Amino acid sequence: MFDFGIIPPAMFVGMIIFMLYGFPVAFSLAAVGLFFGLIGVVTGHFEQAFLQALPLRIFGIVSNDLLLAIPFFTFMGAILERCGLAEDLLEGTGKLFGSIPGGLAYAVILVGAVLGAITGTVAASVITMGVISLPIMLKYGYNPRLATGVIAASGTITQVIPPSLVLIVLADQLGRSVGDMYLGAIGPSILQIAIFLLFILAMSIIRPKDLPALPPEARGELNMALVWRVLAGMVPSIVLIFLVLGTIFMGLATPTEAGALGVVGAMALAAMHRRLSWDLVKQGMHSTMHITAMVVFILVGATCFSLVFQGMNGGLWIEHMLSHVPGGAVGFLIFVNCFIFVLAFFLDFFEIAFIVIPMLAPVAQSLGIDLIWFGVLICINMQTSFMHPPFGFALFYLRSIAPRSVKTTDIYMGAIPWLCMQLILVAIVIFWPETVTYWLDHTPKVDPSTVKIEVPLFGAPGGGNQMPNFGLPPMNLGEPPKINP
Amino acid sequence: APAIAQSMPKISWRLTSSFPKSLDTIFGGAEDIAKRVAAATDGNFTIQTFAAGEIIPGLQAADAVSAGTVEMCHTCSYYYVGKDPTFAIGTAIPFGPNARLTNGWFYQGNGNKLLNEFYATHGLQGFIAGNTGVQMGGWFRKEINTVDDFKGVKMRIAGLAGRVVEKLGVVPQQIAGGDIYPSLEKGTIDAAEWVGPYDDQKLGFYKVAKYYYYPAFWEGGPVIHAFVNKQKFEALPKAYQTIIEDACAYANTNMMAKYDTKNPIAIKELVGQGTVLRPFSQEILEACFKAAMEVYADISAKNEWFKKIYEDQVAYKREGYLWNQLSEYTYDTFMMIQQRSGKL
Amino acid sequence: MSSLLAVSRGIDRVSEAVGKFSGYLVLACCLVSAGNAMIRYAFNYSSNAWLEIQWYMFGFVVLMGASHTLRCNEHVRVDLVYGALSERKRLWVDVIGIIVFLLPACLYLAWLSWPVFVLSVREMEISSNAGGLIRWPIKLVIFAGFALLALQGISELIKRIAGLMGIIDIDTKYEKPLQ
Ligand code: NA
Ligand code: NA
Repeated sequence: MFDFGIIPPAMFVGMIIFMLYGFPVAFSLAAVGLFFGLIGVVTGHFEQAFLQALPLRIFGIVSNDLLLAIPFFTFMGAILERCGLAEDLLEGTGKLFGSIPGGLAYAVILVGAVLGAITGTVAASVITMGVISLPIMLKYGYNPRLATGVIAASGTITQVIPPSLVLIVLADQLGRSVGDMYLGAIGPSILQIAIFLLFILAMSIIRPKDLPALPPEARGELNMALVWRVLAGMVPSIVLIFLVLGTIFMGLATPTEAGALGVVGAMALAAMHRRLSWDLVKQGMHSTMHITAMVVFILVGATCFSLVFQGMNGGLWIEHMLSHVPGGAVGFLIFVNCFIFVLAFFLDFFEIAFIVIPMLAPVAQSLGIDLIWFGVLICINMQTSFMHPPFGFALFYLRSIAPRSVKTTDIYMGAIPWLCMQLILVAIVIFWPETVTYWLDHTPKVDPSTVKIEVPLFGAPGGGNQMPNFGLPPMNLGEPPKINP
Repeated sequence: APAIAQSMPKISWRLTSSFPKSLDTIFGGAEDIAKRVAAATDGNFTIQTFAAGEIIPGLQAADAVSAGTVEMCHTCSYYYVGKDPTFAIGTAIPFGPNARLTNGWFYQGNGNKLLNEFYATHGLQGFIAGNTGVQMGGWFRKEINTVDDFKGVKMRIAGLAGRVVEKLGVVPQQIAGGDIYPSLEKGTIDAAEWVGPYDDQKLGFYKVAKYYYYPAFWEGGPVIHAFVNKQKFEALPKAYQTIIEDACAYANTNMMAKYDTKNPIAIKELVGQGTVLRPFSQEILEACFKAAMEVYADISAKNEWFKKIYEDQVAYKREGYLWNQLSEYTYDTFMMIQQRSGKL
Repeated sequence: MSSLLAVSRGIDRVSEAVGKFSGYLVLACCLVSAGNAMIRYAFNYSSNAWLEIQWYMFGFVVLMGASHTLRCNEHVRVDLVYGALSERKRLWVDVIGIIVFLLPACLYLAWLSWPVFVLSVREMEISSNAGGLIRWPIKLVIFAGFALLALQGISELIKRIAGLMGIIDIDTKYEKPLQ
């Protein structure tokens, strides 16, 4: 434990104390990092110049174009929410399922899944979901623990459903293609949604009082007129979803730009429904500014922490702990998942991806573990890093938008069953790899020794695939013999 | 033996790489340096290697070395062309020398001497410590047969090469790393270039863009540099300085050897998976050559360092390519024909 | 104290103006990004300058907007302990937090960022991408962001001390209607 000094583990303890103190997370993280930075200079782990890396790292954060998705999708959500279109979608779904206990919860999960297919960042998804659905659920008497839990989990699931920032970062770290990671994640996303839905079903049987059916006066009589009205209310949001996905599929926009087109689309939709006003746009952009600054500043604080952690040989410490990994693929996977689960209490997924994954990938590969499967597995596990009380980011985001009547302990307690369901999925994927590999490209790998490549020579006669002769006469070394492909 | 202990003080350095660990051949260069230095000093001089982003973002490695944040980095000089275009010559410029002539120019010509005079103005001492050999020209969704086909092609291509192809109507697009694959897949961009078969295969571009063009005329023999903070280097014992220099030379040779071994297998696998190989046509190469010369004239008129070092390299290249016609070219062509006829 | 409160009001006004501007940049950033995509699709034209301006604006929103976010008490906290405290004790948490956490961290980060900006100006550093932007403005934003945040910290400190002395009323509720 202390082979690399007492400081790396002490940093985690320090982080817990600094955060529990209750000052804003971003500054507490920066302060705990710099506090230990001072210790590092005094103990000779590094010189003061080492901390000069911080502005470079902060520059790295703001120049990371992928983070643009945070303001884009948050802004889109803000407009949809303020003009009432998102509420129409959720309330509509809730009304259709309103007569069954847990109807709204089912709706939240499904809407979370759809939102997950548009956005790649948990922050945008949780905040959008929370703002739209928490007030309605509380209004109709849902247990706050259940309401916040289902929202946080359904928002967090965006990182397993493509597109996903986490999958992109993991693909990069594992040296696999983003496209394969996306394909591999399809099965587990469907399973995760199914597990969530089953849980709600079970809860509605065991404790129906926690998730009551909507009273008849709230849902209206279930007839064609209601169905029609509900569908009409849902159409705009659904159109927007297809618009955003469509721009990616048409090759009009990169996944990040699709968020910006979503903003324009949301404003256009609001205008079509005569709900767009300058005031609404202004409110939306200002709250987006606050959320973006708040979320990205947590990354800025975390970067101070992790730089110093690296400077204290924290990476070597983790590597050392991983050197005791038990043999065998299943043993390795169970150990690694437990390890990441524990680490996720303290580090956010960026840090895990950068520090831990590169150490695990070679071991996994030597055990014959498919790296796509491995990556998807880690991604599912890292969902929990957003859901851990008390430091899960998804819980922070939810806290920042929940009304005072919802106690912080409710948010924490509410997250626990969903955390367990995420772990159940981890176990399923470990013991049933086909959940991932079924979706992958199965064209058999070609034996390179059977492949013939015919490279045209300078000046040789041929068709469009002809090498230029650069104006020189062909080399007079005899006509090359024809080769059978 | 106290004398040995004195000449072998305990020193530990940090080295930040500009590359992720998943690029095992390039990142391996940094590990080679660290291992060799430790072995040659009986573990007294240790260099801890960090992948891109672990302590310093990949594109700012040299900044960190200049500032003394870390003692050493393993990076491409041309990532820093924004500071001074002369940095480009350190790695590769369009229509520069191939890997072998690059080594000649750096080690025995004026390459190392001149560039290190330039790097010193940024507080750096550079050692060439890796080469990928000539790279591939990238993945295209459609065929590029004429210069006209280049017009409006949206391509992810960085640095001076971007400036050159821009003159032919290509639209250089520096989109986010994670967006490249989906963008190429859906045609948001038309082309992207990366390294060569071995590294490109891992990214899976062959699934979304069929045509694999060659050669990357902008990277005929790109160098990966090890930069050391100049002050810290000069403060080292002479023996350690020599050991670093030798370790870098080893990394330089070993990386090239790895690529020469891995690329031939990877290219066959790629073709087996449906990749279609296409050479850039003579017309395109000539147009790009002309555009490159314009760019160099442009930069040389404004930048003394660039002019001086560029002209020295051109002179070396001119003689080198004359000799190459008598030597490598003739011999290689004959051997290639034997290969094609199955006699090897 | 009243002159200090006047200083605090002055700082608040600066942060608010910068924050408002950052809000408009969110909108501008979306429009530029959407415009980039549409123009590239329709005319096969694009430029790296227009791509880079997106994250320049993003950087401004994050680093300069953080001060106004602090003023509105919208930086998220772990409120297990904080939430259970009385108003007065919360003020104390903030006073100590600002003095021990926020001010040292922000001043130190500003101090570290300044030479990075100076170097960028001296080199007249530009983007390494064809047609990209000049770099010093965004590096100045890193420095200015932390400097402004430190200033805003001083303003918050003044207000909280005044609150503890009973001179002004301070609302320590930090959760707010977002979105
Ligand atoms: Na997603
Ligand atoms: Na390349």
